[in-house]
Amino acid sequence: MSQPVEPLSADEPVTLGELFVAFLKVSLCGFGGGLVWARRIVVERQQWMDEREFAETLTICQFMPGPNIVGITVCVGSKLRGAIGAVTAVAGFILLPWTIGLSLGGFVLQYAHFARLQNILGGLSAAAAGLLIATGIRLLMPHRGRWTTLLFAALAFAGMALTRLPLLVVLLGLAPLSIAVAGIESARA
Amino acid sequence: MNSPSASVALAAHLAMLSSISFGGFPSVLPDVHNFVAANGWVSDREFADFFAVSQVMPGPNMILMMSFVGLKVGGIPGAIASALATFGPPCVMYYMAYRLWDRFRDMPWQRIARRALAPLTIGLVIAGGYVMARAGDPGWPAAVVTAGAVVLMLRTRINPLWILTAGGVLGAFGFV
Repeated sequence: MSQPVEPLSADEPVTLGELFVAFLKVSLCGFGGGLVWARRIVVERQQWMDEREFAETLTICQFMPGPNIVGITVCVGSKLRGAIGAVTAVAGFILLPWTIGLSLGGFVLQYAHFARLQNILGGLSAAAAGLLIATGIRLLMPHRGRWTTLLFAALAFAGMALTRLPLLVVLLGLAPLSIAVAGIESARA
Repeated sequence: MNSPSASVALAAHLAMLSSISFGGFPSVLPDVHNFVAANGWVSDREFADFFAVSQVMPGPNMILMMSFVGLKVGGIPGAIASALATFGPPCVMYYMAYRLWDRFRDMPWQRIARRALAPLTIGLVIAGGYVMARAGDPGWPAAVVTAGAVVLMLRTRINPLWILTAGGVLGAFGFV
């Protein structure tokens, strides 16, 4: 494995304002899945993490209960500015969007059965699914030279998408195998 | 609207669920549904509408959906209590887990674990998109929209919001 990449923002600390605004954006843009936007903003725009570190952080979050995207928010905030950073990032993610969502949603709920609205929801969710798949493929790119990575990504995909096993079962079933393989590879290297 | 004790009971139940919601909050949705239906707070129809609307709102979908439930049960205070119960306990756990993970960053065992676990995560993200694309068994036009979104996202620098908008517009005209 290559050396861990140095944090790109090492010399200039990120301000709390920047953190707040970044996760406000992730939240407001996050139709049908904030992960797409979290990766785009954290990795591509701000370069607060690289693809690998982002994928690792997501891994930690997937092993924990709760909304993974909130987990990413807590981890990025905590990495950049400690506890106060975590609180700021979560506040950016939740405060304003929640207020807007609750007011707007309360209004829309009165028209939820409207057929045209149902059609729009269908088109939106099909496109959102595509964005999520593309985000996964992007995260896979740095690993494409290692065939065991592709194998375990495929197994996790199959376990979740094709068999519909509970997530915890898939993770606890595959993680020991994957760790064993990585351990053997690391011993040989 | 119900008595304040209903909001407290709902928030306590949500806090318990959010602490065990491995794999994200959707995995405990059936439990929430049973809980609020058994108490007679929210009808099946309302519950389904809460879900659909929270999915198209920007922002934290599941937190918002639980807030709609809380709003129905106890008004604005109920909505706030439900939101806090949904994201509060996991936030504390995420923070502690990340600190621990970060402290041992340079240990050899952690490098092996990182290398081993990342592929699983990536597979699960792609699976999430696949499951979403198949949800409700849509026809081939929806599959074309999904595939188009994948290609545009990977091959161009287009802002994903435009891709979503295109999906919504195609849906509005009945193409999906």
